[in-house]
Amino acid sequence: MRKTLAYLGERALLALISFVVLFPIAWMFLTAFKQPRDAYSLSLIFEPTVQNFVTVFSEPWNLGSMVLNSVIVATVTVAIAVPCAALAAYSFSRFRVKGRKFLFFLILSTQFIPAVVIVLPFFLMFRQLDLLDTRIALIIVNLAIVTPFVIWMIKGFIDAIPTDSEEAAMIDGASRLRVIKDIVMPMAAPGIMTSSIFCFILTWNEFLFALILSRRDAVTLPVGLVSFRTERGDLWELMSAAGVMITVPIFIMALFIQKHFTRGMTAGAVK
Amino acid sequence: MKDRLLPYWLLIPAFIIVLATTIYPLAYSFITSFRAWDLTKSRRPEGFVGLDNYLYAAGESQFLNSLWVTFVFVITSVILTVVLAMALALLLRRKGPMHTFTRIILILPFAMSPALIGVSYRFMFNPEFGVIANGLGAVFPALQGVPWLADPQLAMGILVLTDVWHWTPYMTFMCLGGLASIPRETEEAARIDGASNLRIVFGIILPQMRGVILVMAVLKTIFALKMFDQVVTLTGGGPGTSTETLAYFIFNVGFRWFDMGYASALAWILTAIMMFISIWYVRMLLSERKMATA
Repeated sequence: MRKTLAYLGERALLALISFVVLFPIAWMFLTAFKQPRDAYSLSLIFEPTVQNFVTVFSEPWNLGSMVLNSVIVATVTVAIAVPCAALAAYSFSRFRVKGRKFLFFLILSTQFIPAVVIVLPFFLMFRQLDLLDTRIALIIVNLAIVTPFVIWMIKGFIDAIPTDSEEAAMIDGASRLRVIKDIVMPMAAPGIMTSSIFCFILTWNEFLFALILSRRDAVTLPVGLVSFRTERGDLWELMSAAGVMITVPIFIMALFIQKHFTRGMTAGAVK
Repeated sequence: MKDRLLPYWLLIPAFIIVLATTIYPLAYSFITSFRAWDLTKSRRPEGFVGLDNYLYAAGESQFLNSLWVTFVFVITSVILTVVLAMALALLLRRKGPMHTFTRIILILPFAMSPALIGVSYRFMFNPEFGVIANGLGAVFPALQGVPWLADPQLAMGILVLTDVWHWTPYMTFMCLGGLASIPRETEEAARIDGASNLRIVFGIILPQMRGVILVMAVLKTIFALKMFDQVVTLTGGGPGTSTETLAYFIFNVGFRWFDMGYASALAWILTAIMMFISIWYVRMLLSERKMATA
């Protein structure tokens, strides 16, 4: 009797947790498909429409250009940060060189610097260089946040790869660069993939930099949300439609790496 | 010769990025923090004013208010997140289809844009057509018509709620990682001896998780100090200045009032706080590792 009660209690608790996690997301998805008049009522029964998506992609909202900005900024940031970080992570993982501890500490501690500190000088600099409101500006500042983070993550993955096959290849006369290219990187590929997706998610969701450094041309999706706050009030149904556009690609990616999540995130932090 | 320098060559690209994107701006804002620079009046920095910007901060009520707001936010969100994450991890480490399902969906809040989380909660707590506001009003009549985000304390509570909702999953995954690495023998022996669940959790599991919990608390503190997005999209620092955190205050000083000197000084105060915590954090990790290898 007590056992069944505990069993049921545990199930109920799990159901409650799932509800708390899913409800805000589900509500946003529902609202995105509601007509304006339904969006302001709480009914679950409504006539679904895709009109909100059509609206956000047309004038004056132009969500399409924001999607493009977000995709370009996130992709280029990943494409620059991940290869550089992978090489650095390998070096940190395999060599015991002078100053290594200091460098690693330096790079790690930059991860803890508040973004608002970094963005101030960049704002002034980009203003001088006439780079405000460009994607290049956003890519440069995003690199500041993701690079240290990705080095940390990939190092965790490379640390977990045994060095035996590398040593064997070197004895056979392969150069270190060849070893990195042909042995280490393929073995670390799942980890690097996970790190890349993480890096993409971070950049995709980045808000502060884009809020300050973009006005019109380079606006990304999260900042675009703010533009649905108008004199007529908040346009919730449009915000929700934009919200769906922000979350769907990221959710797919996140679920894709879910298995590696625990390992990837904790490897650096706990070890 | 070539091989000896290779470790450094591999570091160079990443190091250049870090140097250019963090060390340089940090140095720049450090210098600016000792200058007067009102961007609305002058395109170039004005003269050096010594510690004036810092001294001004020490006496300014809005800065002191933002420190207090940040403190309240950090303490509540760290405690709630860590406790909830630990509890969730203990529940989720068992096997079962529902456990697996919950573990999988837990990644969603973490992947969601914090700015969007702020927007969603603002919608759900809208007193007129917010689903949570109305739902709570229907269940508890006393809560009908409560102006959630217009009340200083409640607004802070909701701000904390969004942050806890966003970060608890990540911390739960960290806890699960920690739980998986501690040996199960002691726990099983205690269970055979008839120890209660509570005693097992508090007497056996939690003491072994000390290191992980410490790491979580410090990491969460740093994330909470940096939190910015939801303040903009959920409360806008309001009502009044009741949810104006230090990061948001710096943003206002720098990009609404364009006082670059003062904003830089404030930014450095925040950096100093975070540096202090992160140095302490790295040291702690190093000593934990020493203990582990000893």
